[in-house]
Amino acid sequence: MSAAKDPVIRVAGLAKDYRVFDKPEGLLASIRGIFHRSSRVVEALRGVDLEVGRGEFVALLGPNGAGKTTFLKLLSGIITPSRGTAHVLGHVPWERADDFRRRFALVMGQRNQLWWDLPAAESFRLHQEIYRIDPARFARTRDELVDMLGVRKLILQPVRELSLGERMKLELVAALLHEPEVLFLDEPTIGLDVVAQHTIHEFLRHVQRERQVTVILTTHYMKDVAALCERVVVITHGDILYDGSLVEIVDRFTTHKIVTLDLDDAAAARHLERLGYPCEIRGPQAILRIDRARIADVLPEVLRGGGVRDVSVEDVPLEEIVAELFRSAPARPTAASPATAEATP
Amino acid sequence: MSRYLSIFGTFARACLVRDMTFRANFVLECVTSLGWMAMNLAFYLLVFQFTPEIGAGTGWSKAPFFAFVATGMIINAIVQTLFMPSAEELTELVRTGGLDAVLVRPLDAQFLLSMHRVDFSSLANGLVGLGLLGWSLARLDQPPPPVAWAIYPVLILCGVAILYSLIIMLAAATILMGRNQSLYDFWFYITNFSRYPAEIYAGPWGGPLRAACTFVIPILLVVNVPARVIAQPLTGQSWWPVAGTIGAALASLVISRLVFQSALAKYRSASS
Amino acid sequence: MSQAGATGEAGSGLTAAWQPLAGLRIWLTMLTICIEERLVYRGDFILGTLMRFLPIVTQIFLWTAVFAATSRPDIAGYSRNDIVAYYLLTMVTRAFSSMPGLSSGIARSIRDGSVKKYLVQPVDYVSFLLAARVAHKLVYYLIAIFPFGLVFFLCRSYFPPLPDAATILAFLASLLMSFLLGFFMEAALGMLGFWFLEVSSLMFAYMLVQYLLSGHMFPLDMLAGIPTGIAGVSLAEVVRWLPFHYTAYFPAAVWLGKIHGPERTAALFAEAAWVIVMIVVCRLAWWRGTRRWSAFGG
Repeated sequence: MSAAKDPVIRVAGLAKDYRVFDKPEGLLASIRGIFHRSSRVVEALRGVDLEVGRGEFVALLGPNGAGKTTFLKLLSGIITPSRGTAHVLGHVPWERADDFRRRFALVMGQRNQLWWDLPAAESFRLHQEIYRIDPARFARTRDELVDMLGVRKLILQPVRELSLGERMKLELVAALLHEPEVLFLDEPTIGLDVVAQHTIHEFLRHVQRERQVTVILTTHYMKDVAALCERVVVITHGDILYDGSLVEIVDRFTTHKIVTLDLDDAAAARHLERLGYPCEIRGPQAILRIDRARIADVLPEVLRGGGVRDVSVEDVPLEEIVAELFRSAPARPTAASPATAEATP
Repeated sequence: MSRYLSIFGTFARACLVRDMTFRANFVLECVTSLGWMAMNLAFYLLVFQFTPEIGAGTGWSKAPFFAFVATGMIINAIVQTLFMPSAEELTELVRTGGLDAVLVRPLDAQFLLSMHRVDFSSLANGLVGLGLLGWSLARLDQPPPPVAWAIYPVLILCGVAILYSLIIMLAAATILMGRNQSLYDFWFYITNFSRYPAEIYAGPWGGPLRAACTFVIPILLVVNVPARVIAQPLTGQSWWPVAGTIGAALASLVISRLVFQSALAKYRSASS
Repeated sequence: MSQAGATGEAGSGLTAAWQPLAGLRIWLTMLTICIEERLVYRGDFILGTLMRFLPIVTQIFLWTAVFAATSRPDIAGYSRNDIVAYYLLTMVTRAFSSMPGLSSGIARSIRDGSVKKYLVQPVDYVSFLLAARVAHKLVYYLIAIFPFGLVFFLCRSYFPPLPDAATILAFLASLLMSFLLGFFMEAALGMLGFWFLEVSSLMFAYMLVQYLLSGHMFPLDMLAGIPTGIAGVSLAEVVRWLPFHYTAYFPAAVWLGKIHGPERTAALFAEAAWVIVMIVVCRLAWWRGTRRWSAFGG
């Protein structure tokens, strides 16, 4: 796996516990709460091991509350872990060395980092000063990024007047102005329309290839993953459940293929139903889920009945595979031993 | 250092641009703070209807007392202009996770968090404070000596530093606790003690209070020491408080910085 | 609970659309939620209430220093002890009459259009707000009684001996009316949002006037010597003709016996008149405001 290449991110046994106080519900319980506040420890991350090589584009997937964002926050040094080690670009993130912070960027889709009432150009200038970017270089990078996303005209408009998609594009420009070597993206496409998503995909792909940026992306949109990432890391309940290529996920976790038939008439539909495969008929279309191993046997049998105008065979949608994967993860209520989270297959 | 100055310049410029975009609001804010001030001054005038002096033999008669009030106005205007708006925003930053974005910047977090906003409308108070200072100093029995003029600005800065440290301590508490409404009330109430001459805190309750607000939280040094230097005759006794204030200012800057750093290390971040 | 009944009736009496029983049930739910909310943050709350006495502490020391420097036995009829008692009593009246967030909340709901739902739902907006406020206040007193009790116990020596029953009754009546007056004044202020987009400046002006003329800063009798320009009329007299002093000064002055006899009775009737005027103003503002608002299409 990629771990052999010069690792930019190296994580071992990384764990983060939170102590949460129970908010009592109900009147009596809250009165009791005056005298006694109960708390418990929540393990957001339970000893994660991971290595990421330079120039990799890794998708971090997992249901809400699985620990993705905690993981990104640890890697960017926002929070300090309870146990374990991490090195990003040779630095321990939570020491927050300026030298380290100048070399990466974090973009959070749900949070606005640009000045709300001012044009983005002003925020960019501030970035230049904070990151000490050489003026000539700053102008060049800015123009390049702005043109790539087609937002040159927007940078002189107050940010509050822009649409969500436009703002996100400008956020990305701001994050890349100092030419970071590592980029953490936390749900960058959340709430965006299809066109904006597509533009951002193109842009990220381009930037990553051109500059060999190492990117870790969390998202709930499988489109992002399919468009951008070769490597997928699935986190559930604070553990890494899967780490491998996207192609492999499909291979390993799908047992079925989806066969879609365009039918001529009701007779053809009746014939299909008689065959007894799991089948759903929607008007002139029939959708079958067929065991992958048996597809070569089943397909001729289905077609032999006649009355089929068109046929397509597809993999189960990625969303479904991933959802299944999330569900399959056993919840572990007890403290985890770090050794069980084996990162590389 | 020069980089920090230039970044601060960018912040200040940005805030000015914004203030000028919403000009009506800006004027309103100036009027607001001036209104409060006028009300307080009216109250003090009323008090002097009934007494020649605040406290028997303290020397805080009308002219020195208004110099005291003016000193407080100047110090508070500086704090309100430079630090308060950022500090007020911190709660919001902690609640929404905006603090995360601050922590990934290659810049001192305390600087960013305490100085990223400038509230120019509070300068109006400072200007009125300067005017009031001039008015009341002209009415003193004897004008302040040159040495008082020299040390006065230094003591003003010390007062600002002490209040700034207090803000930083409260900011640290905000980061640790996640919310802080009553903490900012606390700031308001504790600084309230600094509004009057320390001499009024006398008697079995006032004595300990005065000691606590001088030696534990040195809030009584903030306005009192500079005001006394400029508005009351200097004696050999005057130098101990001056030295103490400078020391307290330095110590509180250092302590608050340490507390703030340790709070950042324990920061939990808002879950999302 | 007797207080709750009284104000609850006032609330439902204002509107025919509000069925008393359903209303009571909603109100009880509201009350429970308020209690839970308060209890979750009770530490903050008790501390916050105690800290609210701190400005008074400085005021007390200030007046003590003033008395030390002057030879007078009293200022405007107030001895030093009277002044301490006065400030503490205004804390109680302010606990009844102050309505934090009420007018700004109304103005906001007009601005962002959420007031719309009270035009379609069978709930009267003002009654709803009043009920919510009563619930909030009740819960507030439930917990605030501890810090208040502590402070008053510690300061008991500053108070004159317990006044007679008539005075106590007058005090309670003035307190209840100060709650209603505060509520309807602030509500009317918030409804200016129907006519003006930006009401924060008006609110600020109101706050200033209120702070100064309510007697929150000092006993209003001290204004007796300040001329107004009109012959023979002092500032204190002008202030007494305005409604603001009922929200802080009046109940405290009643308790301390500064106002008594027929004068007190007259003032109580005047206060009641102000409450009615403000209820009418509020109704009118709501009626004309919503009409204007729906004419503009929100």
